[in-house]
Amino acid sequence: MRIEVDAKRWRWLPDLREFYAYRDLFLVLAYRDLQVRYAQTVLGIVWAVVQPCATLVVMTLVFGRAVGVDTSGIPYPLFAITGISAWTYFAFVMKESGGSLIASQEMVRKVYFPRLLVPVSKSAVGITDLVVALAVMVVLFFHYGMAPEPHIVLALFYLFGIMISALGVGIWVSALTIRYRDLQHVVPFAIQLGLFLTPVAYTAGAVTGNLPGWMQAVYFLNPMAGLIEGYRWCLLGVGDPGGWCWLSFVSSAVLLLSSFVYFRKMERVVADLL
Amino acid sequence: MITVQGIGKQYRLGGAAGIDPRDSLMNNIRAVLRGRGKPFWAIRNIDFTVNEGEVFGVIGRNGAGKSTLLKVLSRITVPTEGRFVIEGRLSSLLEVGTGFHPDLSGRDNVYLNGTILGMRRAEVKAKFDEIVEFSGVARFIDTPVKRYSSGQKVRLAFAVAAHLEPEVLIIDEVLAVGDMEFQRKSMSKMKDVALSGRTVIFVSHNMGAVNGLCHRCLLLDQGGVEMIGHTSDVTRRYLERSAAAGSSRKDVSQHPHQRDDQARLLYLRWVDADRNTIDEARVTQRFGLEIVHEVRTSDVRPHPVVLICNANGDQIFTTTPGLDSALNYAPGTHTTTVWFPPDLLNVGTIYATVGLVTWLPHQPHQSLENIMSIEVLDDTGSPTFPLANQRLDGIIRPNLRWEVNDQPVE
Repeated sequence: MRIEVDAKRWRWLPDLREFYAYRDLFLVLAYRDLQVRYAQTVLGIVWAVVQPCATLVVMTLVFGRAVGVDTSGIPYPLFAITGISAWTYFAFVMKESGGSLIASQEMVRKVYFPRLLVPVSKSAVGITDLVVALAVMVVLFFHYGMAPEPHIVLALFYLFGIMISALGVGIWVSALTIRYRDLQHVVPFAIQLGLFLTPVAYTAGAVTGNLPGWMQAVYFLNPMAGLIEGYRWCLLGVGDPGGWCWLSFVSSAVLLLSSFVYFRKMERVVADLL
Repeated sequence: MITVQGIGKQYRLGGAAGIDPRDSLMNNIRAVLRGRGKPFWAIRNIDFTVNEGEVFGVIGRNGAGKSTLLKVLSRITVPTEGRFVIEGRLSSLLEVGTGFHPDLSGRDNVYLNGTILGMRRAEVKAKFDEIVEFSGVARFIDTPVKRYSSGQKVRLAFAVAAHLEPEVLIIDEVLAVGDMEFQRKSMSKMKDVALSGRTVIFVSHNMGAVNGLCHRCLLLDQGGVEMIGHTSDVTRRYLERSAAAGSSRKDVSQHPHQRDDQARLLYLRWVDADRNTIDEARVTQRFGLEIVHEVRTSDVRPHPVVLICNANGDQIFTTTPGLDSALNYAPGTHTTTVWFPPDLLNVGTIYATVGLVTWLPHQPHQSLENIMSIEVLDDTGSPTFPLANQRLDGIIRPNLRWEVNDQPVE
């Protein structure tokens, strides 16, 4: 092995080969988070099931019954769980990845490893919640005796997009918080607003329906807007993944790539700033 | 093989963002517009090479740039200029137990810490039993680490570090940890590592350890290379310099902590036997604290009082000339020196609280808490404790007379 550090030369993108060399640390960090999360809790892993179910019940009461969101005949709980599963993952990664670099500052100040491991491992941890939410969804499909749409395979494609955009946002936030600690206070607020600005509890059409084109475009700049809309369409056949939805893909990709570059830049000074 | 060419690291004073919420809004806006704080070089123009299998020491006073160099070479932070190349698998140990999580069991923490230090999981697994045995906490290995005593935690952490098998090792002297028994064990382990043909950079404050271990040394001074050479030459230069370093006396005459106007402390400084100002002393060296104070009225006889504490805050002793009736502090300015004999204070930072008291009738005039500090360094060295910081347990470190009477036991 040979390590060469030159102040004059630096790479724009993370060193993927090095990242791979540290894959064990990635696994151990993710495993640690899972263990720590439920350490000394009475219900343990049950919490992972309780949380999406509680959200589901509340949302069904508010949006399904009180507001009466139009779901084109799909039972509201089934409609909602698709949105919830995706949004919960996104919110988890935004919050956990976003705060991860600060949270591991002791490590970062004392030992070298590819810093990108920290936010990325958090995004892997979130997958457990996603899997639990998907299991609830399967149960609901059986409960209502419904079969998913034939283009369900495409849902994987959208799920992948959701992970990309969550990771992009998470990495951005983690790097930005190093310099601007204020962001820690913005994130919970952004997650709260985002829930309403994203078609989680309703279809995108209900909001964008009679808006002018440019406002629709702005709506879909939110990467999660088009992705959740398309994801639900794959599963339930409601909503419309056409129109400006492609913009969400573009903004996801831009977010992830730019987050790599910015993170790379911050990685060099992170130990000095923490 | 390590090659370092022209390494420099620049920091900015006053934090990166330059925003201080206690400051006014306008000043903050100005700070942001101005960019950031004043730049300064923590280290600059550092050049050296370490050959394969060599144990290379880095020494220097506090603030000379040792830890910055350590951080740059460990890749924790990037250099502002210059380049370096390290051939071989590198491990750097700036502390033990990095990343330990209190809620996880000892077992999980061994894996966590091992992979953080750059081991593969399979490697940790292969060495797991050895690590646990070395740590001596086998019985508690499935207990969360938060239930460990601090000693147990450190031993487990050290055990992981001791089982790294790097080709190049960068270590900080902080690794001398734990109780005496464990220290001896860990030091002989570290010595094995150092002598097993690995390339080692050892950053230290402790001349004894450096002398016992390093082939060559680098002396840092004010961020630059002062000298590179054979260990004995470099450590000699270091000790000479620290004795000659002319840090000035401390002016405390404007210190706000004042009880009355009858007397006040003016200046304080540490001195060696020749009355040169010093800021480090060796265990075997006689040194003094020079106190200049002013008495303003003839109603009182203010005597200096010195309380000596160590870095743990243990109060070691209080000393005052007050019980010596030969001293008569009449109005005017007085210079008093209290001398500390060799082989009294232990290695580490020593803090002095200096005050003025009239004893009869008892009247305290002033007390400046922990106003002066001095680094007491070891210079004795000992082949049995090459890396051990010579931190013999105890608050003081007297050199006592030992007598051997080899007469047959009846």
